Amino acid sequence: MNRTIVRLGLRSVFGRRRGILLFVLPVVLIGLGLLVRLLAGATGDNAETVLDELGLTIVVPLVALIATTGLLAPEIDDGSISYLLAKPVSRHTIVLSKLVVAVGCVLVFAALPMLVTGLLIAPDEPRLALGYAIGTLAGGTAYAALFALLSVLTKHAVVVGLIYLLVWETLVGSLLDGVRWFSIARWSSVVVEEVTSVDVAQGLGPAYAVSALAVVILGATYLTGRRLRSFNLTGED
Amino acid sequence: MTTLRLEHVSRWYQNVVAVNDVTMTIGPGVTGLLGPNGAGKSTLIAMMSGFLAPSAGSVTLDDERLWRNEKIYRRIGIVPEREALFDYLTGRQFVVANAELHGLADPGAATQRALALVEMTDAQDRVISTYSKGMRQRVKMASALVHDPEVLLLDEPFNGMDPRQRMHLMELLHRRGGEGRTVLFSSHILEEVEQVARQIEVVVAGRHAASGDFGAIRRLMTDRPNRYVLRTSADRRLASALVADPSVRAVSLRPEGGLEVSAGDFGRFSAVLPQMASREGVRLLEVTPTDESLESVFSYLVAT
Amino acid sequence: MSSPSDSRPSGVIHDIGYRPYSGPRLGEGQIAWSLFLTGLRNCYGLGRSGRSKVLPMILLGLTLLPALIVVGVAVQLGLPELPIAYSGYPLTTNLLISVFVASQAPTMFSRDLRFRTITLYLARPLRRSTYVLVRYASLSAAAFALIWAPQLLLYVGAVLGDLPVGRETEDFAVATAGSLVLALVLAGLTALVSAVTTRRGLAVAASIVVLLVSYTVVTTVQGVATETGHDTVAEAAGLFAPYSLVNGLQVYYLGAPEGSPAPPGSAGMGALFVLAALLAVVLPVLGLLLRYRRAAVV
Repeated sequence: MNRTIVRLGLRSVFGRRRGILLFVLPVVLIGLGLLVRLLAGATGDNAETVLDELGLTIVVPLVALIATTGLLAPEIDDGSISYLLAKPVSRHTIVLSKLVVAVGCVLVFAALPMLVTGLLIAPDEPRLALGYAIGTLAGGTAYAALFALLSVLTKHAVVVGLIYLLVWETLVGSLLDGVRWFSIARWSSVVVEEVTSVDVAQGLGPAYAVSALAVVILGATYLTGRRLRSFNLTGED
Repeated sequence: MTTLRLEHVSRWYQNVVAVNDVTMTIGPGVTGLLGPNGAGKSTLIAMMSGFLAPSAGSVTLDDERLWRNEKIYRRIGIVPEREALFDYLTGRQFVVANAELHGLADPGAATQRALALVEMTDAQDRVISTYSKGMRQRVKMASALVHDPEVLLLDEPFNGMDPRQRMHLMELLHRRGGEGRTVLFSSHILEEVEQVARQIEVVVAGRHAASGDFGAIRRLMTDRPNRYVLRTSADRRLASALVADPSVRAVSLRPEGGLEVSAGDFGRFSAVLPQMASREGVRLLEVTPTDESLESVFSYLVAT
Repeated sequence: MSSPSDSRPSGVIHDIGYRPYSGPRLGEGQIAWSLFLTGLRNCYGLGRSGRSKVLPMILLGLTLLPALIVVGVAVQLGLPELPIAYSGYPLTTNLLISVFVASQAPTMFSRDLRFRTITLYLARPLRRSTYVLVRYASLSAAAFALIWAPQLLLYVGAVLGDLPVGRETEDFAVATAGSLVLALVLAGLTALVSAVTTRRGLAVAASIVVLLVSYTVVTTVQGVATETGHDTVAEAAGLFAPYSLVNGLQVYYLGAPEGSPAPPGSAGMGALFVLAALLAVVLPVLGLLLRYRRAAVV
C-alpha cells in the first residue's frame, strides 16, 4: 500500500467534479430517511424498503461505481497512468492503494449514511442499522473490486458497470430468482440478515454469501493487478 | 554500461505490422530515433519503456528484460508524448509525487534539483492545468529526471517547444549524454536530430533502415552521386572541362550563377577538381556539398 | 551576386480551372433537418461503428419483448382488455428507458464539447441555438421512439386481436401524448447533465443517478405516505420524477388508468403538475442554450 498513490487518489476523487456526485447520493438517502421518519414515525416498518431498495440496490453500488471508476478510468483514458506505472512499484500495490481510497469512499458515502438512515427510521433497532452498514461495507468493497477490474479491461467501464447493476442485478434479478447466486446485492443482504437476525427468505446461506464476496474481492483485485502488469500504453491515442 | 538491446523485435496488431524485425543497440550518449510519421517510432519507444510487449524478439536493458519488470524503472526515465498530466496538482506536487513513488530518500531536494534543471522553479507552485504546452513538457522532463536515471527515453520531446526552450532541452540532453548516460529521443524533424545526436537510428515503415553517424551513412550510399554547388569565376569553361572527366555524372548551370555537379566517384572528383580548375585558369570561389545533410540522407532512405 | 531588380518579391496565381460554386445553396432549415436526422440515427448507432449499435438495439429489443408477450397472451386467452395499460407501460420499463437516454445523451451533447468538434458544426451557416435545439429534438425523438414503439405494438396487437377499436384508440392516443412529454423531459434532463459534465462515463453515471434515484425515492415516499394517510404528500412527491410526473398528468387530465401510486387528486395539484412539466421541459432547454453560449469555439 503506497501512501503517495492514496494521496493522489483522494485528490483525484475530490479535486474533480465527480466528488459532487458522491455527496448527492448519501444526502438523498438520509433525506429520504428523514422524510419517512416524519411521515411514518419511528416505527421501523419501512426500514427495509428504504434501506434495501434505495440503499443496498442503488446507492451503494452507484457510490462504489463512481468512486472506483473515477480513480482508474480517467487516468487510463488519457494515459496519465503511465506516471504511476513507470515506477518500481508493484502493480498490486497500485491497485490496493486505489481500492483503499474507493473503500474509504464507500465507508464515508455509503456505509455511514446507511447507518444514520437506519437509526433515523428505526431508532429502536440499532442492530438493524448496524447490519445494513456492515452489509454495505462488504458489498461496497466487492463492487469496488469488480469495477476496478472493469476499468482496466475496457474503456467503457462505467456503462458496462451500469448495465451489470441495472440490467443484471435489478431487472433480471427481479424476474429470475437464480440470479441471486451471482448478485453482489443479494450477497450483501444475506450479510445484513446475519447481523440483524432478520430472516428475508433468500435461500442463500451466509457461508456462501461471505465466501462469494471474498472470492470477488480477492479475485478481482488480483486480476486487476495482473492486468496492470501487462498494460499496453503506446504513444498514440 | 547501460545498453538497450533490441534483437529481432517485431510487433504486429493482427494484420498490421508496426515494427518489422528490428535489431539495434542503443548505447551511452545521445541517440536520435528518426523516421516519418507512422514509421513505428512510438511503438519502439513503448517497447523500450516496458509498456508494450514485442510480438517477437526481445528488448533488454543490460540483459534484463523490460516487459513486466517494475524494478527496472529505477534506471529508466520516460518522457511520454501524451500531454495528459495530473492537472489538479501543482508542478512541484507532481514531481514530488514522482520522487516519492521512486522511493527517493529526500523527495523534496530531488524535486528542486530536477525543477531547476528544466528551469521550472518559478512556476512550480502553479496548478498544471494553467501551464502552457512547453511548460508541461518541462514538468514531464523534471518528473523523468528526478530519480537521476541512467537511461532517458523521450518520445517527440521537442513538440510544442519554442526555440529558446528547445535550445535549452538540447543542451540538457547533450550534457546528460556527455556524462555517459544513454539518451534516446524520437523525432521526425531533422534539424533537431541533426543538432543534438550524431548517432541516429532511422526507422522507415517499421523497418530499421540505417544506423550510425549520418555522415558515415551518407558515404555508404555509393550508388547515389554526391552533389556539389560550385561558384567560380568562369562557369562554362569549368563545366565543359568537368563533363569530360569520368568521375562526373552530370553538370548543370544554375540560372543565378554557379554550377551544380553530380559526382559519382567522390574520391577522384575531390582530387581532380582543383587540378582542373588551375589548368583552365578558373578561380574556385565556393565549393559546397549539398547533400551531406541529414535531410538528404533521410530523403534517400525514405524514398527507397 | 543577384542583381538589384530581382530583390522585389512577386507572385502569381495560376488558373488551374478552379471555379467557386455560385449556384443555389440550401438554407439553414435544410441543415437543421439533416442534422436532426443524423442525430436521430446516431442515437441508435446507425451511421456509427458496429459496437455503438449494440446497446440501443438491445434496449429496444428488451422494451418490445414484454409488449409482444403481453399481446400474444392477451389474444390467445381472448382477454377483454390488455393486462397492461398503454400509459402504464413506460412505468414498467422505466429502467430500460433511463439507461437508453442516459447512455445516448452524451453522444449528442458531451462528445462535441469534449473533443471540440463543435467548432466544425458552428463553422457552417448554423446558429448555436439552432444546433442545440436540433440536437435536443434528435434525442427527444430517439427517446420517444423507444417509449412509443412498444405502445404501438400493443395497439396494433389489440386492434388485430378484435379488442374494441374506439376504446383502444382513445387510450393509445392518450398514451402517445404522455410519451411525447416524457421523452421531452427525459431528453432535457439528461442533455443538460451531459452538456455540463462532458466526460462520457461521468455523464452516464450522473444521468442514471438523476433518473433512477429520483424515481425510486418518489415511489418509496408515495408508498409510505399513502400507507400513513398523508395523501397530499404522496401526490406532491410525484412531481419529482419524470415518470410519475407524466403519468400523473395523463391520469388526471386525460383519464388514463392509474399507473403510479398517487396521481393528483385535486385541481390545484393537477395545475401544479402541469407547471412542473412545463418547467421540466423549458428549464433544461434554457440551461442547454446557456451552456452552449459559453462554449468557446476557438
